[in-house]
Amino acid sequence: MEGLFAQLLTTAFLATFIRSVVPLLLTGLGGLFSERSGVVNIALDGLIIFGALAGAVATLTLEPSLGALAPWLGWLAGAVVGGLIAWIHAVVSIKYRADQVISGTAINLLSAGVPAVILTALYGSSTESPKVQNALPLWGVGELRFSPPVFFALLTVLVTWYVLYRTPYGLRLRATGEHPGAAASMGVNVRRMRYSGVILSGVLAGTAGVFLSIGNLDSYVRNISAGLGFISLAALIFGQWKPLGVLGATVLFGFLQALSITLGGTDLLPPTLVAALPYLITIIALIFTGRSAAPRALGKPLDG
Amino acid sequence: MTHVSDSRPSPTAAKVALTASAAAAAGLLLFPLATLGRGFDADAVLLHLSGAVLNFSGNQEAPLPPTGTVLALGWATLALTVASVVGALRRATWFWLTGLLACLCGVAAVLVLGQGLGAETARIAADTTLRPGLRRQLRSFYTGGGMNLGLFLPILAGLITAGAGLSGRAAWWERLNRLRGLLVPAVAIALAVLVGAVVVLIVQPAVNNSGAPLGLWRGWLAKSDLVYFVYSTLFAPVTALNPFLDSLKLATPLIFTGLSVAFAFRTGLFNIGAPGQLTVGAIMAMLVGVYGPSSLGWALLPLSVIAAGAGGALWGAIPGLLKARFGSSEVINTIMLNYIASALFIFLIGSNTFTFLGREYSLPLKAEGFEPASEELQVPARLPTLLDLFNVGQNGALALTVAPLVALIAYAAARLALRRTPRGGLIALGAALLAGVLTWRIGIPAQVIGSQLNASFLIALACVALFGVLMWRTATGYALRAVGLSPRAAEYGGISVARGTILAMTLAGMFAGLAGTHYVNGGALDEYRLKGNMPVNVGFDGIAVALMGQSTPGGVVAASLLFGTIDTGSVGVQRLANVNRDLVTVLKALIVLFIAAGGFLNRRVTDPPPPQLVKAEGGGNTPPAVAGLSPSVAAHERATPTPTVTLSSETNKDVTRGGGQ
Repeated sequence: MEGLFAQLLTTAFLATFIRSVVPLLLTGLGGLFSERSGVVNIALDGLIIFGALAGAVATLTLEPSLGALAPWLGWLAGAVVGGLIAWIHAVVSIKYRADQVISGTAINLLSAGVPAVILTALYGSSTESPKVQNALPLWGVGELRFSPPVFFALLTVLVTWYVLYRTPYGLRLRATGEHPGAAASMGVNVRRMRYSGVILSGVLAGTAGVFLSIGNLDSYVRNISAGLGFISLAALIFGQWKPLGVLGATVLFGFLQALSITLGGTDLLPPTLVAALPYLITIIALIFTGRSAAPRALGKPLDG
Repeated sequence: MTHVSDSRPSPTAAKVALTASAAAAAGLLLFPLATLGRGFDADAVLLHLSGAVLNFSGNQEAPLPPTGTVLALGWATLALTVASVVGALRRATWFWLTGLLACLCGVAAVLVLGQGLGAETARIAADTTLRPGLRRQLRSFYTGGGMNLGLFLPILAGLITAGAGLSGRAAWWERLNRLRGLLVPAVAIALAVLVGAVVVLIVQPAVNNSGAPLGLWRGWLAKSDLVYFVYSTLFAPVTALNPFLDSLKLATPLIFTGLSVAFAFRTGLFNIGAPGQLTVGAIMAMLVGVYGPSSLGWALLPLSVIAAGAGGALWGAIPGLLKARFGSSEVINTIMLNYIASALFIFLIGSNTFTFLGREYSLPLKAEGFEPASEELQVPARLPTLLDLFNVGQNGALALTVAPLVALIAYAAARLALRRTPRGGLIALGAALLAGVLTWRIGIPAQVIGSQLNASFLIALACVALFGVLMWRTATGYALRAVGLSPRAAEYGGISVARGTILAMTLAGMFAGLAGTHYVNGGALDEYRLKGNMPVNVGFDGIAVALMGQSTPGGVVAASLLFGTIDTGSVGVQRLANVNRDLVTVLKALIVLFIAAGGFLNRRVTDPPPPQLVKAEGGGNTPPAVAGLSPSVAAHERATPTPTVTLSSETNKDVTRGGGQ
């Protein structure tokens, strides 16, 4: 047991820990914008994949001409593509009033097929892209060196909190999710607020994907998200749809993930079962949050 | 009551016919009319309406069938299609006739073409001077030919135009109105096919083995031919017996998972957990099938099947229980349980030893070898293939028994005759069984080779029947549907929502778990064992199947057959370099997306207000109203799926029901 604790108190573990938290945090905050506006976003996992793919493909395409500038534009591309795919979810579920869970599932199904088709067309391999020469730079000291999205994620927590609770936009967004009818009668354009919330979630989830493909690795590989989108959705629920709550929940889940990565190398528990641990704990966590403070109009299309 | 003042097609019908005919007319000019032959790399010799023959194949000297008649028929089709356009513009009463004629003309062209190609094939077969290899090559070159988009579009558009034109007549309107439920899935498929076609156009380079450079026009024709080739290959399995049986095999697990998702839908739950339930079901079936005492003999098979159902039921009951007891969303929980089941799966068959708290334990479930797989099932626990089951031929001869067919006919006839008798259904069932037993030894010789379609298909059909009976013929089903339509109202009506939730998720899990029998007991993984390559994704495809089947048992079967067909066809598509099977995944995802969006159709089209309301509003311009509500329409209204039901349509339905009584 002492051996385990010694392993946990290293900077390497801290680095693994932070790298596990960041994509969860970015995606969770993205989901926060969408769900606070009243649109269930189960598509987060697919959005991560699309963002990761776009980031890698854009970087690979721009590299020969732009060099070290390319990954930054790759980040931009990942965020934009994430936003665009989220926009599809928004159109289907806001304009056409589809069941939001089903629409989100369709996006996730798309993310299982589209990357393979694009990768095959571009690079002739259906599972992974070639490696980028210029990944996002790493900033920091020693083992604690992270790519810019890590710092961006921490900044986003503060910005999200400020926007949600201290700006007119945040007030309208919350009102839209709680009581769209009342918001509409006060002159808030409910549809536009919802579109903005969903698209923002795509931008942030896309950024999380970019972090995975060119901030953490240096290529896109199949199944790069590995269910992160769903765990961050659980973190969002566990965090009671509040920015600081999401931070706390993702820190917990990130810790569990880092733990399962670290434990995987030891002989304490079978690594295959340890991999299931975060999911099991998510289920238990959901028991305790249960009937929680979801935005009241979540999942309901606006009438009229 | 059934008085209809205006027998002309409605403006909507005219618009539909106009769009279809105009698209077909443009298609006749823009796309190749027919394929005169196709090589192994999908390189083709194309015929255009102008009479130009474009040879993209490597074989420039192959003699081609005469094309004069086909071209003449093509031009006649164009003339008729244009006439339909004019008729639709003027909302004429006759445009259904031109549409129908255009369709028939197109079919005639296809038949003439097929005759010409058949004559070439016969000539090749008779030509003894050719090498056998070359002869085989030439034969498949000609059999690859047939109609192309230029003829396919007017045939399809002709049918649509005829239907739209006929909808002006009251009797036909009612007949077509019954099919309204097919509208959203059909439009969704059409849109998905269209988007998929654009993807192929962009992603896929044209196939040109002729060596001559492609211009803009020739390049376009070659690419559009490719689109047609991809789709005709995807849907090809319906044209022959062997690939059709293969698609039935691929459809079997989809029926299970589709029923699972649909069953939960009906109760207002969204079961994304079918992959996990399937996995646990398969594990349980394996455990009983491999490690069950062999002294049980034949009883091992039913036990193994029951174990599969029980495993899935357990995995489905957990989220149901959590939802009922703690209110946690079944959506998240089922997804988490999928990951846990997959980890369990890998844990069990990935390795024979594991370490726990520093000590090594052994759990020898994995068979010897590199691949993660379990031991083989004991022989009594294996499901027979349908070929073995229905083969009554002696001494290795193949003859399929006619009993199922006779039983089906007997059932239908008895059901029809005893329509008004109480217990008529049971008597009909008995008659069918009797007819089946009596005719069991009568067989017809068949040309089937090594189909792996196994008896789990029959279990799937039994599940379909169970779904239907349970949902619409029992009090439990009534309670479940009530919970799905409005939990609060159900609660007031004295129905326990919590119990309904648990029961629905348990049964949904059971359906998905039984899919495990297809893979393990049925040997669908090429061996009678649990293997690491089990395609758990069929659990997600179940969502698409349930949506497309509108959560009805018959719909689920039809949607599964469609998906099984294109899954089988996608193997053929892979012959082309670069077009991979994932295109099919994209198509399925698009179908789900478009169905979720109601096919982007106006709500008045998919879910029209009942005629009584229209009359009250005095709305005159709606399609000819069917006075009263025919039983079939009412039945259909009852059958509309729950997931996309929103407030407004619910009000509609209430009014409908009130008015129908």
